[in-house]
Amino acid sequence: MNFLSPVAFFFAAAIPVVILFYLLKRKRIVRLVSSTLLWQKFLAETQASAPFQKLRHNWLLILQILLLILAILALSRPYFSGKTSGGRLEVVILDASASMQSADEAPTRFEKARGEALKLVDAMHDNDQMVVLQAGANTEVKQSATREKAALRRALQACKAADTPTRLKEALKLAETLIQNNTAAEIHLFSDGAVTAMEEFENSGLPLVFHPVGQRANNLGITTLDVRANPENAAQRAVFTSVVNYSTNQQQSQLEFRLDGELVEVKSLTFAPRETSPQVFLAAQARDGIISVRLTTQDDLAVDNQAAIVSLLPQPVKVLLVTPGNHLLARALRVAPHVNLSVSAALTDPAAGFDVVVLDNLEPTVWPNANVLAFHTANTNWFAGWSQLETPAIVDWKATHPLLRFVNFDNVQVNKALAVQTPTWAASIVDAPQTALILAGELGRQRIVWVGFDLLESSWPLRISFPIFIANAVEWLNPAAINASQLSVQAGNPFRLALTENVDSAQVKFPDGTVRACEVNAARGELVFGDTSRQGTYRLTAGANEVVFCVNLLDGNESDTTPKAELNFGKYAKVSGTTVRRASLEIWRWIAAGALAVLMFEWWYYHRRTA
Amino acid sequence: MSLLTADLLRRLEQFQLLAARRAKSSAKGERRSRARGQSVEFADYRNYVPGDDFRYLDWNLYGRLERLFLKLYEEERELPVTVFLDASESMNFGEPRKFDFARQAAAAVGYVALCGFDRVTVTAFPEALGEGAVRGALRSVRGRKSAIQFFRDLSQVTAQGTANLNEALRRGALAARQAGVAVVLSDFLDPAGYEAGLTALVGRGFQVSAVQILAPEEVNPGVFGDLRLVDAETGHEQEVTFGRYRLSIYQQTVGNFCQKLREFCQSRGINFFTATSDTRLEQLLLKQLREAEVWG
Repeated sequence: MNFLSPVAFFFAAAIPVVILFYLLKRKRIVRLVSSTLLWQKFLAETQASAPFQKLRHNWLLILQILLLILAILALSRPYFSGKTSGGRLEVVILDASASMQSADEAPTRFEKARGEALKLVDAMHDNDQMVVLQAGANTEVKQSATREKAALRRALQACKAADTPTRLKEALKLAETLIQNNTAAEIHLFSDGAVTAMEEFENSGLPLVFHPVGQRANNLGITTLDVRANPENAAQRAVFTSVVNYSTNQQQSQLEFRLDGELVEVKSLTFAPRETSPQVFLAAQARDGIISVRLTTQDDLAVDNQAAIVSLLPQPVKVLLVTPGNHLLARALRVAPHVNLSVSAALTDPAAGFDVVVLDNLEPTVWPNANVLAFHTANTNWFAGWSQLETPAIVDWKATHPLLRFVNFDNVQVNKALAVQTPTWAASIVDAPQTALILAGELGRQRIVWVGFDLLESSWPLRISFPIFIANAVEWLNPAAINASQLSVQAGNPFRLALTENVDSAQVKFPDGTVRACEVNAARGELVFGDTSRQGTYRLTAGANEVVFCVNLLDGNESDTTPKAELNFGKYAKVSGTTVRRASLEIWRWIAAGALAVLMFEWWYYHRRTA
Repeated sequence: MSLLTADLLRRLEQFQLLAARRAKSSAKGERRSRARGQSVEFADYRNYVPGDDFRYLDWNLYGRLERLFLKLYEEERELPVTVFLDASESMNFGEPRKFDFARQAAAAVGYVALCGFDRVTVTAFPEALGEGAVRGALRSVRGRKSAIQFFRDLSQVTAQGTANLNEALRRGALAARQAGVAVVLSDFLDPAGYEAGLTALVGRGFQVSAVQILAPEEVNPGVFGDLRLVDAETGHEQEVTFGRYRLSIYQQTVGNFCQKLREFCQSRGINFFTATSDTRLEQLLLKQLREAEVWG
């Protein structure tokens, strides 16, 4: 038998205290009686009739010492090792996300968690099996089920924290699959709890043991970074960033703003506890470059103290409008920023050379290859079939979609529309009860925005929301903007690059200066680079192309290093953290139950004596 | 304070103490004795010796035998009745008090004796300061007309001090000029015991009746818990943890104590009675003592 908390034996020092209490005179009720003779005889007779005179005298003392010993034993948490019947499966999930690099635990949260996991390996019974999963942006099986403790230790040592957010759902789903039909399985999660909500596990009843790490939240973090043209001065670029103080104390820091590595501006900022502080930098930019911001403070988590973004100067968008004569649409397109508009009555070629093609209420003889904004146009490649619908009512729209930013469909009436079934490649962003009225999606590598009704059969062109929608659509469909957005990826997400020429190989230069070759799938015409676990600026060379892209954390959940005592699964389910491993053969519950029984017996006996 | 009710006194008047032995008192009384004297009861003959009173010669016998014989008659003497009254501190306990009960019993015994022209002595022990006159007046009371004074004196006796039962009885036995009837009224709760005292009384020739008077609280104590009991007489302290579940064991102990006393008394021809202080007096006097033929 071993003990998980042998320090509890120090409580044995209480036993002499109990005996001391018995040595002390008990406070008794004083009574004057005619004679104590009968009482003396009574005591003499009862003592003579009891076989264990001394024992009977000290029954209460013995009971109390027994109770104390049982309580100490229960506190010391004894367990039997190596006597389990049948092997147990333990799935260890080690959180390797950015927040685990926080230095509030020595040396880091990740190392602490790894140490705890190694202890769990040590406590494993010989016939137990263990799986090691590393949960970062992706879940990696570091070690499949094995009894080999050496292999498990190696697997845990091979884990390392990345700059990525946690996707704990994937890890839990994988673990759930691994322990399926195994009633004696347990999932041990070593994490700081900096994860997104996991409602889908609310009712799954996972046998999860949460081992929390983390002492405090002392962190300033950059959670958003974006760059746009300054709306008030087109010659300038506006950089939007927000810094959050996750600690409960006031913090001070300087925020540096650099353009291509050169310091442009420094702001000295003071952050109230738990304050989110949006900051804007304005700068003239002569050429494409990399904009970076950095907090100079020394806090527990360094990875979120900087962020970088590729800033491309806006280029004119070449838009071809194919319409029988919709002037409202043409006018709306003209007022959209950076639009170079051409108008045509028909489309007979693939419209090469245009960035965006707008099809209004007609079917072209040749479908364009460029991104398409289509009004009341149906393509058999897009939809399986369609029908006409009279006066559909707009009941819902996705205001969060980039296309519908600042767009409102109140007071928009539609007379006729095409009723289609939402295809798999698109998502509906404006809905009528019977059909989707506006769809947006990507078919192959072509972005398509489809509006299911004729503009002239609706009141929409007369509403202020219409030109805003057109401007949003041009920006969303602009390939240059798409490329620019793709040049900034969150750590752990793959970087994708459309190849304009056939290349066989590519090289990536990492932020730390190492260069690694990258495989290219020439058949797909796309390069996908997945090793973005470190934040910073990456340089990719593929043939004649050289592309710079930035990898950032920019995740509020990860930057919030507040230690979590429990994990919430939806509204009602939660798992509380445990500091010590729950050993399978722990017997403290039985001992505690025994102690309770002794306590009750002692209580009864005491009252029986004196009642 | 009236010790006995008028009704009880009237009923007690009908009784007379029954003495199994002949009276040995030197004073004349109404009890038969071994002494020869003047009465109507013929006892024996003896030879005439010069100097004898001619009035007691049996002339009829002289006529037949021509020898002189003297007729002897039984002398009637008084019966000394001694009541040993335990007036120690322990008798003050109980509800009603044991001492009150004991005094009433003493008064009843005394009254029966006085009505029978016997000499009554009430010996209250231990000695008490300031009660010398009262206690002295309770010695050698005789005659029915003394009953009122006897009751008055008896009611002035108080219970105090530490008793030594053996010593008191032994002294009483030695001090008595003639043995007679002895009635011991006590709780017999003396750490030194009672055997020596009772044996001394029996040895002196007393016809002894022992009445043990206990308080109801002594038989059925109503206080439980962790107790420190202080002996009212000796000051001895006894710690005891007492619960209801041990009540029957305690009562068994009391029963054993009484039984032992009873067996001792029976083995020495002592009449033994036990009563708690809440027993009706008539129950003891008119039933138990009568059935045991202490009086009749």
